Amino acid sequence: MDRTTRSSALFGILTRQKALPFIIIMLVGMLFTKTGFYTPYNLLDMLNSSSILLILSFGVTLTIIAGGCDLSIGGILVVSGVLSIKLQSVMPMWPAIFCAIVFGVVVGFVNGFLVVHQRTEAFIITLGMGLLLTGVAQQLTDAHPLPSSNPDFMMIGNGYLLGVPNLVIITIVCFIIFAWLMRYTQFGRNLYAIGGDYEVARYSGINVIRTKWLAFVISGGTAALAGFLLSSKLNTGSAIYGDLTALVVNCGVVVGGTSFAGGIGGIPQSALGLLAFGMLDNVMNMLNITSYYQILLKGTVIVAIIWLDCFAQKRKRELV
Amino acid sequence: MSPAEKTGALKSAAGFLRSYLLIVLIAVLVVLTAIVEPKFLSGQNMINIMRQFGPLIMVALGMTFVIIGGFIDLSVAGIINLVAVVTISLIQVLGQVPALIVGMALGAACGALNSVVILSSGALTQAEALFMTFGMSTVYSAFALLYSHGSTMHFWDIDKSKSVFEAIGAGKVGPVSVSFLIFLFFLALLWIFQANTTEGRSIRLTGGNKTAAELAGIRIRRSIVVIYTICGFMAGVGAIVLFSRITTAAPVIGANFETNAILSVVVGGTTLKGGKGSVLRTVTGVLLIILMSNCLNLLGVSSYLQVVAKGAILVFAIWLDNRKQA
Amino acid sequence: MSVMSESDLIISIRDVSKSFPGVKALDKVSIDVRRGTVHGIVGENGAGKSTLMKILSGVYQKDSGTIVFDGQTIEHTTALESMHRGLAIIYQELNLVSTMSVGENVFLGRFKEMKGMRGTHAKARELLDSIGCKVSTGKLVSEISVSTKQMVEIAKALSFKSKLIIMDEPSSSLTAEEMAQLVKIIHQLRSQGISIIYISHKLDEIFEFCDTVTVMRDGHVIDTMPTSEVTRNDMITKMVGRTIENEYPPRPAKVGGTLMEVRGINTRKLKDISFKLREGEILGLVGLVGAGRTEIVRAIFGADKAKGHEVLLGGKKALIRNPRDAKRAGLGLIPEDRKLQGLVLTFSVESNISMASMDRFSRFGFIRRSLERGIGERQVKALSVKTPSVKVPVVNLSGGNQQKCIVGRWLEIAPKIFIMDEPTKGIDVGAKYEIYLLMKRIAEDGGAIILISSELPEVLNMSNRVLTIFEGRLTGEFDPATTPVDTIMASALGMPGVSA
Repeated sequence: MDRTTRSSALFGILTRQKALPFIIIMLVGMLFTKTGFYTPYNLLDMLNSSSILLILSFGVTLTIIAGGCDLSIGGILVVSGVLSIKLQSVMPMWPAIFCAIVFGVVVGFVNGFLVVHQRTEAFIITLGMGLLLTGVAQQLTDAHPLPSSNPDFMMIGNGYLLGVPNLVIITIVCFIIFAWLMRYTQFGRNLYAIGGDYEVARYSGINVIRTKWLAFVISGGTAALAGFLLSSKLNTGSAIYGDLTALVVNCGVVVGGTSFAGGIGGIPQSALGLLAFGMLDNVMNMLNITSYYQILLKGTVIVAIIWLDCFAQKRKRELV
Repeated sequence: MSPAEKTGALKSAAGFLRSYLLIVLIAVLVVLTAIVEPKFLSGQNMINIMRQFGPLIMVALGMTFVIIGGFIDLSVAGIINLVAVVTISLIQVLGQVPALIVGMALGAACGALNSVVILSSGALTQAEALFMTFGMSTVYSAFALLYSHGSTMHFWDIDKSKSVFEAIGAGKVGPVSVSFLIFLFFLALLWIFQANTTEGRSIRLTGGNKTAAELAGIRIRRSIVVIYTICGFMAGVGAIVLFSRITTAAPVIGANFETNAILSVVVGGTTLKGGKGSVLRTVTGVLLIILMSNCLNLLGVSSYLQVVAKGAILVFAIWLDNRKQA
Repeated sequence: MSVMSESDLIISIRDVSKSFPGVKALDKVSIDVRRGTVHGIVGENGAGKSTLMKILSGVYQKDSGTIVFDGQTIEHTTALESMHRGLAIIYQELNLVSTMSVGENVFLGRFKEMKGMRGTHAKARELLDSIGCKVSTGKLVSEISVSTKQMVEIAKALSFKSKLIIMDEPSSSLTAEEMAQLVKIIHQLRSQGISIIYISHKLDEIFEFCDTVTVMRDGHVIDTMPTSEVTRNDMITKMVGRTIENEYPPRPAKVGGTLMEVRGINTRKLKDISFKLREGEILGLVGLVGAGRTEIVRAIFGADKAKGHEVLLGGKKALIRNPRDAKRAGLGLIPEDRKLQGLVLTFSVESNISMASMDRFSRFGFIRRSLERGIGERQVKALSVKTPSVKVPVVNLSGGNQQKCIVGRWLEIAPKIFIMDEPTKGIDVGAKYEIYLLMKRIAEDGGAIILISSELPEVLNMSNRVLTIFEGRLTGEFDPATTPVDTIMASALGMPGVSA
């Protein structure tokens, strides 16, 4: 690809990107306030508190680009979080964590089987799966928070490496791996092809079922990873965190510019989308906005961004 | 029978089983439970089951129209929160009948607002509507929190008469609960609307193919307003039945209603693709869920495991139904 | 047939049969294609051309017969295997992923083989250059024209070192210039020794560049002959199995006064479109695909938001903001894309017919089913729609019968002005003639028709008057009965000095 096409591709990403202008508005706006927003501590804190949602979004992005979606991640998140603590009573910490992640992979495998192999609707199947898993988490915890008593476990989610929170480092590593996977590997490019046009991808000899299935498996795995990290960060496992997480993450991915129709978008876009949410939370806290107004603002922002995006598309459609 | 005839007969039996899958599932469930637990067939339990036709079915009936119209509505949770806290507070201020009317009107207004937001943006796809109504739900919930200051309001806080709401919540006409009658009333109304009116037909055509419907001169924008208004209205009715039954209204009581309503509609066999479906199907879908939780209750299964079982049955039923279409 | 040695043949299809429940789609079909030739296959829809292609590409498996490709007998095959073997098929619905770049589409699923993004784009560039296609490999397929997409498909075929390229009705959505480019490439490929099977129902093209032609009908091969030894009429007779005296009925005779006047349609694409439509006439719009034909009628019908123009009906200004207004003003539209814009495919024939006339079978907003059934059955009978019952989903009907349902939908409310955008696209010859008769009847009953079609003979033979459009402007008005075709074509191609 020559330089002009590369720069025009970059320009295309920026104009299709709804979250970035919003992030810029917040960044500029915060210049004029006397809050501690622009301190390294706060910026790291912001990344730290967005980390779980970011990690979740990377896996989900794979399924959305492949033309599906994954609403079971909330359920996987809580169950794996609970498992990673609960299993520590019968085995050491790392095997427990490993089992929790395997659990997510298995759920992802089942999702993939139902959605891809059996050709059911991803939206509704993963929604049902999420409900089922919430029940599992409630059963495991008796619907009470389950504290962990292992300080090592807590350190994973709360420790620092060279002054940077572990979670931020893990998030960045995940980001690099996933972005590379989607951009520079056959698997990633095939996912784009599958989401862009399933039949064409199939005719071109891509093993569509296996590839798309794998996207669900990876999404399950990352959700489980996020689940154990969340439990470690809070030092507690609980069934309640999963309630809206799945919708927030899928929404953030779409706000970032990954199309729900499949084939369009990417990991950087999703990261920006979720980062916009995280930054909004941080900014609202900095500005001492009370929690109910925070909810109101957040809802308004979601509606506004998606509204603007649809409106831009409508204008484009009507330009005849 | 020749082998060909035999496979033909087998095939048609399989076809029958698939098209009446839910009825079959329900029948199996009833028979099995009746054998294991004879109490299942007692009059008291029948009344119990009838009582379960509560808030969820109201919301699901409204949701059916949105899904037939090819869209989706995640805002019902927010609408329920808002309508519940506003209505219960108005009983004290306005008296109960005005409060009831305002409550239902508020639900319809929220639904109409959804459609205005969607139409003004030009959103055409289910996914766009999905996230937009998710945002609207957050907005309505925030208003509910702001309005109630986050606090829960109880019936016993109300000095004035609340007999109407008490009747909705726990009243009976003979052995039949008032809420069941309300359900029957709305079912009849919506069924007639869906099956016998031109607007009902327009909604189906809109769900089937928006472009073709519009080019044939059908008012698809009006249909979209209608489906969301009905959904909002029924969410309002659901909210009123819900808080009347539990005699308290918190600004979070609508949580998870959107998921459960959508799942009930889809389990009933109304497809998310739009254009196909019926409120009657939704009733069978909800009936399956109700019977299942009733059976599990009678069998002494914990409420958490019931959620698991519910999720599993839903996934299973949707899987079977989807296969049928493939 | 002349004597040929086996090695002369790139593909030899022998006695291939294929049945579907209830239909024998192919019955002992035999076709030989010599190396380095362009071999045309013609036939009406349903003649078995598509089935044959799908067997060659591995979508279907044949029931019996043998296929020898390049000396190898082919039994079971998949799309990918046949591509690797050197047999590429360019389908009507192009096999490209519109959300991905041109370069990646050429090597779809072969990212690793091409050693990543850089290699993919470099190799794609080479291939595209070799067929004289200048499009940037970084461009998204959704942003390029149909003809460029075909170039990309051809590049993809070349990337597999194809020995035989099958093109399935490639010209159906090409403009004349794009077609000329395609012809050039076809000649170039032939000179490189690549064989081509060219499937089409446009006889002009077959005569223009095919060496040999095979006529198929009802799953049989009727004849294979050198193109130079056959006449157009012979070929049509062989295709339809009967002699068609006239492909088109005579034009409607009685043209009256002005029925509709359109003044000043201006959009981003259209510049100052004004014209009159007279009672009892068929008005043809002639122009290249993308010239703005469809946009004109969509603006009139209120389907696109155009501003500032006026539509006068019977001398009075009509306010048409949306299709509903248009319907009420007495307009009817048969849209360009039958499946996406015309029909609700999963719905019954009856609902599809009745959907524009709901107020005719309802009272106070309530549907009266017996009246609706009457409407459906009346139109099915009047248009002789072939369907087991009006309750059958319209998706089960053939293209022609589906189109009749849309015509019937509008006939029920008897619009004065009928807009028909590609009314015979993808419809077989017999059904086409019926639609032409219908058009004539509508015009003679005092209505008027605006006809858009990519098939020039159709517009010219059906219309009383044609308007030519080039790049969003009206460039001329002609009486097709008296004007030479070249003059009309020149005007539609925007050549100066020839407009009337």
